[in-house]
Amino acid sequence: MTVPPSSAWTPRFGFRRSPSVLPGFGLTMGLTLTWLSLIILIPLAGVSIRSAGLGWEEFAMLAWDPRTVAALKLSFGAALAAAAINTVFGLLVAWVLVRYDFPGRKLVDAAIDLPFALPTAVAGLALTALCAPNGWIGSLLDPLGIKVAYTPAGVVIALVFIGLPFVVRTVQPVLADFDQDLEEAAATLGATRLQTIARVIMPALLPPLLTGFALAFARGVGEYGSIIFIAGNIPYRSEIAPLLIVIRLEEYNYAGATAIAAVMLVISFFLLLVINLLQGWNRRRSGLAV
Amino acid sequence: MVSLPRAGGTNGIHDEPRHRQPVRIDVEELGKSFGSFTALNDVSLTVRPGELLALLGPSGSGKTTLLRAIAGLTATEEGTIRFDGEDATALGLRERRVGFVFQQYALFRHMTVFDNVAFGLRVRPREERPRAGEIARRVRRLLQLVQLEGLEHRFPSQISGGQRQRVALARALAIEPRVLLLDEPFGALDAKVRKELRRWLRELHTETGLTTIFVTHDQEEALELADRVVVMRAGKIEQIGTPAEIYEEPATPFVCEFLGGAARFEVEAREGETDVLGGTFPIESDAGYSGPAIAYVRAHEIEIVSREMAEGVPAVIRTVRPFGPTITVELSIEGRAERIEADVPRELYDGGEIKEGQGIFIRATSARIFPAG
Repeated sequence: MTVPPSSAWTPRFGFRRSPSVLPGFGLTMGLTLTWLSLIILIPLAGVSIRSAGLGWEEFAMLAWDPRTVAALKLSFGAALAAAAINTVFGLLVAWVLVRYDFPGRKLVDAAIDLPFALPTAVAGLALTALCAPNGWIGSLLDPLGIKVAYTPAGVVIALVFIGLPFVVRTVQPVLADFDQDLEEAAATLGATRLQTIARVIMPALLPPLLTGFALAFARGVGEYGSIIFIAGNIPYRSEIAPLLIVIRLEEYNYAGATAIAAVMLVISFFLLLVINLLQGWNRRRSGLAV
Repeated sequence: MVSLPRAGGTNGIHDEPRHRQPVRIDVEELGKSFGSFTALNDVSLTVRPGELLALLGPSGSGKTTLLRAIAGLTATEEGTIRFDGEDATALGLRERRVGFVFQQYALFRHMTVFDNVAFGLRVRPREERPRAGEIARRVRRLLQLVQLEGLEHRFPSQISGGQRQRVALARALAIEPRVLLLDEPFGALDAKVRKELRRWLRELHTETGLTTIFVTHDQEEALELADRVVVMRAGKIEQIGTPAEIYEEPATPFVCEFLGGAARFEVEAREGETDVLGGTFPIESDAGYSGPAIAYVRAHEIEIVSREMAEGVPAVIRTVRPFGPTITVELSIEGRAERIEADVPRELYDGGEIKEGQGIFIRATSARIFPAG
């Protein structure tokens, strides 16, 4: 038996036609899929299977229940609004932290991560105490007729608090690495400061901003602990979807709970997919794709 | 193989009559420090209109700081910079109209080649901004000048280093700059592309007629390309002169050493003369000097003499580099730790007299002597 020369012999495993110069694809891909399955796919499949067992009509009835729809609208609406607010102010915070040196910068920088670490219930209680009609902020707004605590506005405020670090931490490193030469080049070519920011800096920050937005949004959709304290949880008005799921569970209405969960899953997946596609489109459009 | 653009022909950037004469730059007593580090120390310099000037020096010599100060990118603490007599330090970057090419090109990654070149025209205030058609026409002409036609829709990541360099140049020329400044223009390119771009830049300079200053740490690049060379060291100008002057008559030991290829000898001078490697040479800068001195002898200033001639110094050949029109050998002589390089004619090598371990006699045919200290 003759052994084929090793250089001419390539293993043909499925779609892996051309051998890569980077070894270990099989191993790493296998581990990735296993890990993804264990951590994400199997639990999510459980949700889908549970809700699939409902039958279409029953599922539609549970999912289109007005109370459920109101809760879903609030959850996604508030998460989108909070992510949008965080994108603007997170960019501002990152800009100040990267571009200026001031006493206490390190402290501010460290404080950004607090919403990550703080138990969300604590955050919710603190925000409620501040925004309630007799709180520091609430007492100022109350005479103006603005109510924050126990309204959808309260939900948005809690989510802004929770989501801020996502935007700051994704934008910060990109901004820190931003090549000073580019700004100087724009200036020598006659661009004003505003033109430089709009035409040179912002395009570079768009990808991390999108990522930060997506992360803050995703976190906002799933947030539970901080909101239930500040929202007041009035059905049809300030009740979020994750809370409604818990309520259904407490009623031993497992079918109702999984139906809401399945709808949330589909909408979340769809929105995140759109953001990712947007990201890819932006990369291709700007020639950054490898 | 890189096919190289030729500047010239009918597609120059100024095919309309030139509205501006090249600018003269006067740098007067410029000073700049970063903390305790003095980057520029009382630097004065006149750049003639239309001149191609090189700022040459090791890193930290202040050459890039000087270039950035002329561009207005670095604010200076002392002194003035004048463009045709007008105080440029009072002007903003926009009014200075300086074409600056960055070492790493600083191209806008998210813009195509076309958009990069058009940038300087598009950011002009509305009343000065050319119409879109006019911008397109000018950008195309510039791309033609730098021989990048057909690449206008590529992104910087999709073209080679040499092409990026030319995009950066076209972008800088698009604003119709009064002066052109280049920071280490060939620093990031490989040897072959460097050499070709060097020749091309020379031609482009002739074509545009712009007063041009470039920074380099490569003495060969400076001597080959520039009309005049400014050698800098520790924030000061050591010497200004034509490449021939710099090479033949280095003003200081530093210039001599920085140009490279010279062996250094510590010698004793008496009454303006000193003996080096079997020859006697005058001290040109200080005719009557006696005392310790430093002598520099270049490789091509050492000749091999026959044993019979008394003034030769015995030496042993250590290594031979047998390529090129002359053969470079490394020699060791008694009482000296470092080896000396000498260029010997090819015939001697072909005659079999040059081989490793061979003892010979050498003599300096010329030398540059500076009083020590």
